[in-house]
Amino acid sequence: MRRIPLEIKGVLAGATTSILILVATFAASGTYRSHVAQETETGRTPLTAENLAAKGRGLFFQSCAHCHGQDADGGEDAPSLLKLQISGAHMALLIQSGIKDEMPSFGKKYDAQDTAALIAYLKTLH
Amino acid sequence: MIPWDKLHGAMTHFPIALLSFSTACDFVSVTLNKLSIARDLRIVSFYGLTFAALASLGAVISGIALTKGDLWGRGNFAWHHRFVWPAFALLVALAVWRLVAREAMSRTGLWVYLILMLLASGLVAAAGYFGGELLLSGGGVP
Repeated sequence: MRRIPLEIKGVLAGATTSILILVATFAASGTYRSHVAQETETGRTPLTAENLAAKGRGLFFQSCAHCHGQDADGGEDAPSLLKLQISGAHMALLIQSGIKDEMPSFGKKYDAQDTAALIAYLKTLH
Repeated sequence: MIPWDKLHGAMTHFPIALLSFSTACDFVSVTLNKLSIARDLRIVSFYGLTFAALASLGAVISGIALTKGDLWGRGNFAWHHRFVWPAFALLVALAVWRLVAREAMSRTGLWVYLILMLLASGLVAAAGYFGGELLLSGGGVP
């Protein structure tokens, strides 16, 4: 019987270990995530205006600051978001639908609560 | 309470540095294979890769704790993960391969190994870049 070369054995062992570790990592993380979600669900309290704005700030830095600037005072291709003169509903519409050829839509990325958080943050910039 | 953000930030640098260093040592040892230093460099790269793989476990565990189990996310966070998971899988696979095969590699096997090491280094560097972007954007982990 032909012996399997050591380097092939190494490849097989490497691939198997790698797959096993990834599966274990994903499974453990899934369990941990549902545990955290369960705990959060148990002690859930509605977000205060302050917390909502804080959450919005995080979302702003994640998706908006790149174009509108870290201080929201505008960038090369995007206007300042300081002292916006539009209503919250209008802001929600713009965030959800975007502006053709100017601003991408975030409708798929952010749900109603995220959008509300972003608006709460933008309102603190007045 | 454990400061997972600081711990993750500290731990991720070990696999990044050790893997890059190990890859560099491997390439230099192949280039200078007629010199006696080549063997020493292969030993250094072997330990570098082994410790990179071990350190990556710490980086991954602290990352999972930091994100509360979110393995994908959005924006830069998702980009970070798009590179992290293949990098982690490849790094572990390469370390085990090297651990089993040691010096018993054919010429073809060695070149496949080196190309995969380069790929793993690139993936780890890209994951580190997007991790840094997350940190510098001030948004932190969503």
